[in-house]
Amino acid sequence: MPKVSQTTCSRKMQSGGAYSRNGGCMTGAKHTVLVVLLLSTVLDGPASAVEFDFSGSARGRLAIGTDEPELQSTELTLMPEVVSRFDNGWKLTSIGRLRTELVDGLRPGNLDRKTYGPASRPGLLRQEVEVELREFHLQGAWGETYLTLGKQQVVWGKADGLKVLDVVNPQSFREFILEDFDKSRIPLWTVNIERSVGNWDAQLIWIPDHTYHALPDRDATYAFSSPRLVPSAPPGVSVDIRSVDRPDRFLMDSDAGLRLSTFWKGWDISLNYLYQYDNFPVLFQRLDVRPTGPVVVIEPRFERTHVIGGTFSNAFGDWVVRGELGFFSDRFFRTNETADRDGITKSSELSGVLGLDWTGIEDTFLSAQLFQSWVTAPSAGLVRDELDTNLTFLVRRDFFNDTLRAEVLWIVNTNDGDGLIRPKIAYEWQDNLKTWVGADIFYGDRDGLFGQFGNNDRVILGVEWGY
Amino acid sequence: MKNDDTYLRISLIGALVLALAAVTTELRAGEWPTGDAIAQRINARDEGEAVSRSLTMEMIDRRDKVRVRETRGFRKYYGEEKRSVIFYLQPQNVKDTAFLTYDYPDAALDDDQWLYLPAMRKVRRISASDRGDYFLGTDFTYEDIKLETKVSLKNYSRKTIGEDEVDGHHCYVVEAVPIDENTAKELGYGRLEQCVDDAIWMVRRSKFWDIRGKPLKTIYSKDIRQVQGIWTQHRLEAENHKTGHRTIFSFSEVDYAQGVSDNLFTQNAIRRGL
Repeated sequence: MPKVSQTTCSRKMQSGGAYSRNGGCMTGAKHTVLVVLLLSTVLDGPASAVEFDFSGSARGRLAIGTDEPELQSTELTLMPEVVSRFDNGWKLTSIGRLRTELVDGLRPGNLDRKTYGPASRPGLLRQEVEVELREFHLQGAWGETYLTLGKQQVVWGKADGLKVLDVVNPQSFREFILEDFDKSRIPLWTVNIERSVGNWDAQLIWIPDHTYHALPDRDATYAFSSPRLVPSAPPGVSVDIRSVDRPDRFLMDSDAGLRLSTFWKGWDISLNYLYQYDNFPVLFQRLDVRPTGPVVVIEPRFERTHVIGGTFSNAFGDWVVRGELGFFSDRFFRTNETADRDGITKSSELSGVLGLDWTGIEDTFLSAQLFQSWVTAPSAGLVRDELDTNLTFLVRRDFFNDTLRAEVLWIVNTNDGDGLIRPKIAYEWQDNLKTWVGADIFYGDRDGLFGQFGNNDRVILGVEWGY
Repeated sequence: MKNDDTYLRISLIGALVLALAAVTTELRAGEWPTGDAIAQRINARDEGEAVSRSLTMEMIDRRDKVRVRETRGFRKYYGEEKRSVIFYLQPQNVKDTAFLTYDYPDAALDDDQWLYLPAMRKVRRISASDRGDYFLGTDFTYEDIKLETKVSLKNYSRKTIGEDEVDGHHCYVVEAVPIDENTAKELGYGRLEQCVDDAIWMVRRSKFWDIRGKPLKTIYSKDIRQVQGIWTQHRLEAENHKTGHRTIFSFSEVDYAQGVSDNLFTQNAIRRGL
C-alpha cells in the first residue's frame, strides 16, 4: 500500500503539479488508499470482471474570434471510456480525457490549477496538452443501499444554462460558461450513498476532495475583468496576487451534503443541504506601502458556507414548470466602501430560478427562465446590485427525425443590460458522426458579467466522432 | 316500349341486388364484434405482469441511410398502473439516455414522463402532451411507445368497418377516431385503421392519417410468437408516408418470467443507468 501511495506522489510531482503547502502529496496518498480500500471491500468475494465495454469520442473544434479575427481555439479532444461490469452487478466506470490546443488562443496553460486537489489535478504533457482522469467510480447496490464511490459528477438542480444548486462540483471557467457543463464541471472524489426511506430517496454525499473552481489567469482570453468579480488597482498602484490558500485537511475540509427527493401528486420535489467551501475564492485585499510604492495585495481564500435549498417540477398540458431555491449562509462580495479594509463584505444570499418549458409545437422546445439572486444583508459600497436578475430564453427545433437540430439560447442580465446569444445548428451525418456550426456573441456593458467578454465573440465549427 | 321494359327489368334487378347486398352487409356487420369490444379484447390479453427485453431500433431515411440504436427496456404493472423504462446502450451519442413513463388508468390523470439526458446529467420532466411527438428520431410517437401492444380506450371512439388479412392471418379492421379535436392534435392522428388478428387479439397492421386526413404512416407487427406462453411481437416496421422515413424495432431476449425490480422505475435509476 505505501508503495502505491509513493508512486502516485512521485508521478504527480513529475507531471508538474505543484503541491499545496500542507502535505498535498499526503492528501493524494489518502485518496489512493481510500479508493483501493473501497475497491477491495466491494470486490472482495466471488465478484470478477466478466464484461468490458469500450467506447469513447474524438472531437475537433475550431473557434474563430470575430472582433479581432484570430484562432481562439483549435481543440482536439479524445475521451476514452471503459465500463467493467462484474458478475455481482457492480460496475467500474473509467473516463479519461486528452485535450490539446494546436493554437493556444485560449491560453489554457494560464488556468489556475492550484485550485485542484492533488488527486484531481489534470496533468500537462506540454503547455497545450492536458490529460485528465475525468471519472473513475464504482457503482452498485449493497443490500437496499446504492453506492457510487470514486471520482464522479453529482448534479443537483433543475436549471439550464446557469446554476443555483448545481454547486456540488466546481467548474472550469477556461471558456467562461461556454463549454457544456458536462465537460466544464470538475468531477470530485466522492462517496455517494443513496437509499430509499419510505416515499423519499435520500442521497448522502461526502467529498474529501479539496478542488475548487479553475479560474483563468489575468492574461487568459476568458480572464474575469468585471468589477463584480475582481478588484482593479487605481492608476499608479501595482497589484500583488498571492497564491490561493486552498483548504487541504483531509477530513476537516471535506464537503458533505444530503438530498431528499420524492414524487408527490405529480410533483418532483427535492430538499437539499450542502456544507461546502464556496467554489469561488474570496479575493481579500490589503494595501502595502513598499519602497517602490503602494501595492494592493490580493490574498484569495476559500470560505465555508451552508447551502439549504430545494427543487420542484411538474407538467401541465404542454407546459413544464420547474424551479430551484437556494439559501447560502455565508457569501462574500466585493465592496468599494473605503472604510472596509479588505474590500470584502459578508452576507447571506438567496438565489432562485423559475423555468417554464413549452412543447406545444411538434419537435419544438421553447424555454424561459428567471434567475434572481438577493444579497440579504447588503452593506454600503456593495459592488453588485442587491438584487441581480438574469433571464434565459431557448428556442430549439429538431428536423428530419432528429438528425438536424437548430437552437438559439439568449441569456440577458437585466441589471447591467448585457448578455450572451448562442445560435447553433448541428447535423448528425451518421450514428456516430456529428458536425455543428455556432456562434457566441457577447454584448453590453463591459463591466457586466457577459459584457466583460465583448471582445471574445466567436464562430465555432465542430465535428465529433463516437466509437 | 320494349326498351322501356328492359330498362325497368334492369332497374328492378339492380335494386334487388343492391338491397340484397345491403342486407348481407348489415347481417355481416352484425356478426362483427364492435370496435370497443375488440379494443377490450386486445387490452385484456395477457402481457405478463412484468417484462424485460432488448430492443434494436433501426432508423432508415429515404436515401436508405441507416442509424441503429441498441436499448434495453423494462415494463411492469402495478395494478392497472403501468410503468416502463428504456435505457439506451449504443451508439455513443445517445448512450445512457433513458426514458421513464408512469401510465395511469384514470383518464383524468396525465401520464408522468421523464427523460434522462446524459449531456446534461439531469432527469428532465417531459410534458405528457408531447405524446404525439416522435420518440427520439423514430417513426413511433411517445404514445405509440407507451401503448406497446395495447390500445387507448380513453382517447378514441371505435367501430369495426371490415375484415382483411395480414401475413395470412384473418383480422377485423377497426376504425378509431380521436374523441375530440384537442386529443387529435395531441396524438397527431386524425384517424387510424387497425387490423386486429381475432385469433390472438393483437394488432397486426395500423394505418394512420394525420389531422388533415392525409395518409401519415403504417405500422406492421411481425414475427409474433409465444414467449413463456405470452403472444409477443418481435418485429415492428413503421413507414412514414410523408417523409419516406422508416423505423424497424427488433425485440430479443424477451423475458416475462424473471421479474423486474421496482427500483428500475425511478428517476434515480434512469440517472444511474444500467
